[in-house]
Amino acid sequence: MSQLVFDLVLRTGDVALVAVALSAAYSLVRFPNIATVYYATIGPFLTYVLARVGLAFWLAAALATVAVGVLAVVLNATVFDRLLRSGSAIAMIGSLAVGMLVTAVLLVTAGPDSMRFAFALSPPQDLLGARVTALQLWSMGLSSAALLGFALILFFTDIGRCMRATAANADLARATGIDAHGVIRVITFASGVLAALGGICLSLKGELNILMGPDLILPVFAAAILGGLGNPLGAILGAAVIALTEVIAASTNFGPLLGQAFLFLPVNYIGATSFAILVLALLFRPYGLFVNEVRRV
Amino acid sequence: MPEPVLSIRGLRKAFGAHVVLGGIDLDIAVGSIVGLLGPNGSGKSTLLDTVTGFVPKDAGRIELDGRAIESLDPGAISRRGLVRTFQLPRMPARMSVREVMLAAERSGSGLADALLGRRAPSALAVDGLLERLLLTPVAEQPASAISGGQKKLLSIAMALANRPRLLCLDEPTAGVHPNLRQEIMALLRDANAQGVTLVVVEHDMAFIRGLCPRCVVLDRGELIADCAPDDLADHPRVVEAYLGRAGARAARKAA
Amino acid sequence: MFDFILHVAIIAALNGLLALSLNLQLGYAGLANFGQIALFGAGAYGAALAFSWGFGPFAGLLLGLALVSLLALVFARLGRSLGADYWGIATLSIAEILRTVATNETWLTGGAQGIGGLPQLFGFDLPGTLALAAAALLATYLVLRGVTQSKFGLAVRLLREEPQLAASLGYDLAGLRRRVMLISGVPAGLCGFLYAHYVTFVGPDQLFASETFFIWAMVVIGGLANHSGAVLGAVALQILSASIPFAKDALGLTSEYVAAARLTLTGGGLLLFLLLRPQGLLPERIGSVRA
Ligand SMILES: Nc1ncnc2c1ncn2[C@@H]1O[C@H](COP(=O)(O)OP(=O)(O)O)[C@@H](O)[C@H]1O
Ligand SMILES: [Mg+2]
Repeated sequence: MSQLVFDLVLRTGDVALVAVALSAAYSLVRFPNIATVYYATIGPFLTYVLARVGLAFWLAAALATVAVGVLAVVLNATVFDRLLRSGSAIAMIGSLAVGMLVTAVLLVTAGPDSMRFAFALSPPQDLLGARVTALQLWSMGLSSAALLGFALILFFTDIGRCMRATAANADLARATGIDAHGVIRVITFASGVLAALGGICLSLKGELNILMGPDLILPVFAAAILGGLGNPLGAILGAAVIALTEVIAASTNFGPLLGQAFLFLPVNYIGATSFAILVLALLFRPYGLFVNEVRRV
Repeated sequence: MPEPVLSIRGLRKAFGAHVVLGGIDLDIAVGSIVGLLGPNGSGKSTLLDTVTGFVPKDAGRIELDGRAIESLDPGAISRRGLVRTFQLPRMPARMSVREVMLAAERSGSGLADALLGRRAPSALAVDGLLERLLLTPVAEQPASAISGGQKKLLSIAMALANRPRLLCLDEPTAGVHPNLRQEIMALLRDANAQGVTLVVVEHDMAFIRGLCPRCVVLDRGELIADCAPDDLADHPRVVEAYLGRAGARAARKAA
Repeated sequence: MFDFILHVAIIAALNGLLALSLNLQLGYAGLANFGQIALFGAGAYGAALAFSWGFGPFAGLLLGLALVSLLALVFARLGRSLGADYWGIATLSIAEILRTVATNETWLTGGAQGIGGLPQLFGFDLPGTLALAAAALLATYLVLRGVTQSKFGLAVRLLREEPQLAASLGYDLAGLRRRVMLISGVPAGLCGFLYAHYVTFVGPDQLFASETFFIWAMVVIGGLANHSGAVLGAVALQILSASIPFAKDALGLTSEYVAAARLTLTGGGLLLFLLLRPQGLLPERIGSVRA
C-alpha cells in the first residue's frame, strides 16, 4: 500500500511541475504552449553539459533553469506573441514547430541515445514499507520545493497578486496601473524555470533523452486541462488525478470483473490512460474539474 | 390586437449581481414595426441577445408564432425566421463584401448543392441591394476593411437578404451618413410592406418617428412606456430616464 | 534512379491528397486538426483489415471510408463544445490513442508488425500507380474546388471568420463542421487506401503525430485556403524531404542528421512561413466566388 502511495506521489511529481508551467503560462498568454514540454527537455540537457564541464550539480541545475527561463521569455517576445495575433491554434502549431527545432538541435549535438547523471546509484532502501532510492527522494524534494515556492510567490507577494489580477482581467489590471507586459515576462520566465526543473527532476530518477519532451505532451496537457488551463495550482491536482488513474490502471487486477483469475491492462495502455482521461475531460469538463466557468460563444 | 409573432414573458437576465433585464413582458404583432428605445446601458442589446439565443437568459418564456424557442441555439432561432443584426457588426477579413452578401441568403448553401453543382439564382438580387446601399464600389474589398457605417449598411443588407419574418435591428443608423438613413428607412419600409415584422433599437428620434407607429422604452431593465412616438413626451418616467431626475423637474417647470 | 523519381512523385501525389484534406479543414473552415494522420490511418487500416479478412480491395476501400467517416464524426462531435486550441489537443490525443490501439491489439491489427502483403492495385507497376495517384489527386482537387467555390464554401468561410454572424444568418455551425470533417475525411481515407496498396504494408509507425505536422507544414507553406497551394506545398516538401538522404551522402553526415533535417524542414518551414509569410506561397483568393 505505501508503495502505491509512493508511486503515486512520484508520478504526480513527474507531471506536476511541467503542467503547472504550462497552465501558468496559459493564464496570461492564451494558447497551450507546447514548447513548454521541450523546455523540460532542454533543462536537464543543459544541466548535464554544465555538470560535465565541472560545475557542481546544483549550480549547473540553477544556471540551466535560469537559461531556460530566459529562452522562454525571448521566444515569447519574438515568436509566440506575433503568432498569437493569428489565433491560438496557429500559436500552438508554432510552439510545436519550435519544439521540433529544439529536438533537431539536440539530435545533432547530444545524439539520440539516453544518458544518465553521473551519480552513484544507491540501491533502493526501505522507507515506511516502500522501496525508495535516494535519487527518487531528491527528485521528490526538489519538485515539492519548487511547487511550494511558486505557490508562495503566487499568493503572498506583490508580483503574485499582479499575476493573478492580470490573469483574471488583463484590461482591468492595466487600467489599475499594473505593468501587464512586465507581469507576462515574469510569468513566462517562471514557467520556463518550472518546466526546466520538472525535466531535471524527471531525469534525476532515470535517464535523459530527446524524447522526454514529446513523451510528456499528453500527460502534461491532460493534467493541465483537468486542473483548468490557466489555473496553475489546479494543474497539481490534475497531475494527481492522472497519476492515480495510471497507478490504478497498472496495479488493478481486472480479472474478477471479467470472470478470469488474472487480467492486467497491457503495460502499453497505461500511458494511454492519460489520453483517454484527456478526451473524456474535453468531452464533459473542457474547462477543468474544479471550475465552473461559462464561456461566451 | 392581431396574433403576436413574438411573445416575451417574464424575461430576466443578470450579469452577476447586476440585473439587466428585470422581467420583461412584450408582444410584437405580426407585420408591425416597433421602436425599442432607452438610454445607454438600459438593456436593449441584452434584450435582443437573449431573445435571439446569443446570450443565455436567467428566466422567462419566449415564443415565436406561439412556439417556445428558448431552448434553441441562435442558428436554429434564425432558421425559424427571427434574425438580428449586431450593434457593432464584425465582418470577415478574408471574404469580400459581395461574398458575405451571397452567403447571407442560405438557399442553395447545402453540401449536396455544392457537390451537384446546383446554383441559387441570388446573385442578381445581391448586386441590386449593394447598389441601393452605395456598396457597389467596395463590393470586392475584404468585408472587414470597409468603414463602420458601411459595415452597418452591409449587416442590414445581409439580414434582409436572409429573408427573415421578424427582424431585430440594433441601432441600424448609428454611424451611417444622414443621406443613407433615408435609404435605410425606405429599405425597411419596403421589407415591412412585404410582410417582415421589424423591431428597431434606435436613438435617432426622427428615424423612429418616421418608421415606427409604436415604440417601447426600456430603462434599467424595465419597460416604462409603450405608445406612439409622439406621445413619449407625456410619459414622466421616459423624460426622467433620458434627462435624469433634476432634468425632468426642469423640463416640467419649463412646460 | 528513374524508379526513385517515380516513387517520390507517387508519395507527393498521395501527400497532396492529405494536404487538400487538411486544407479544407484548417484553411477554409479554421478547424485546426492535429490528428489528421488518424484519418489517413483509418483508410489504410480499412484496406489492411479487409485484406486480412480475405476481401478484395474494393471492400477495403469501402471499409476504409466507413472508418474514416466514423472518425470524422467523432472529431466533429468533440468540436461542438471546444475552442480551437482545446480541439487541437483533443484531436491529437485521439490520434495517439488510435496509434496505441493499433500497436497493441495484435489479434486485430498485427500489432507493431502491422499487416503486410497487400496486393498492388490492378497489378500496377510504378507508372501505373503514379497515374492512379495523380488521377485521385486531380479528382479531389476538382471536387474540393467545386465545393469551396459554392455557397457551401462561403458558409464554411463565414464560419471560420465570424461564427456569430454565421449563426445569426441561420447557419448550423455544428452541422457545417460535421460536413467539413466528413467531406475532408474522404481524400484522407482514399490516400490511406492507396498508400496501403502501394507500399503493400500498413503499420502503426505510419501514424506518428510527426506525420500530421508534416502535412501542416505543406498546407501552411503552400497557402492556407488555396487548393493549388496545398498541392504545391505537398510536392515541394516531398521533394526537399526526399533529397535529404542525398545531401547526407554528399556531405558524409551521420543518420542523426537525416532525422534532424526532417525536423528542421517541418518545424523551420512552419515557423518561417507563419512568421514571415502567413498567407503561404499561394495566398487565398478573396472575392473569387461569383454565384
Ligand atoms: N457580457 C456582459 N457582462 C457584464 N455586463 C454586461 C454584459 N453585457 C452587457 N452588460 C451590461 O448590461 C447593461 C446593459 O447593456 P446593453 O444591453 O448593451 O445596453 P444598451 O444596448 O441598452 O445600451 C450594461 O450595464 C452593460 O454593462
Ligand atoms: Mg446596445
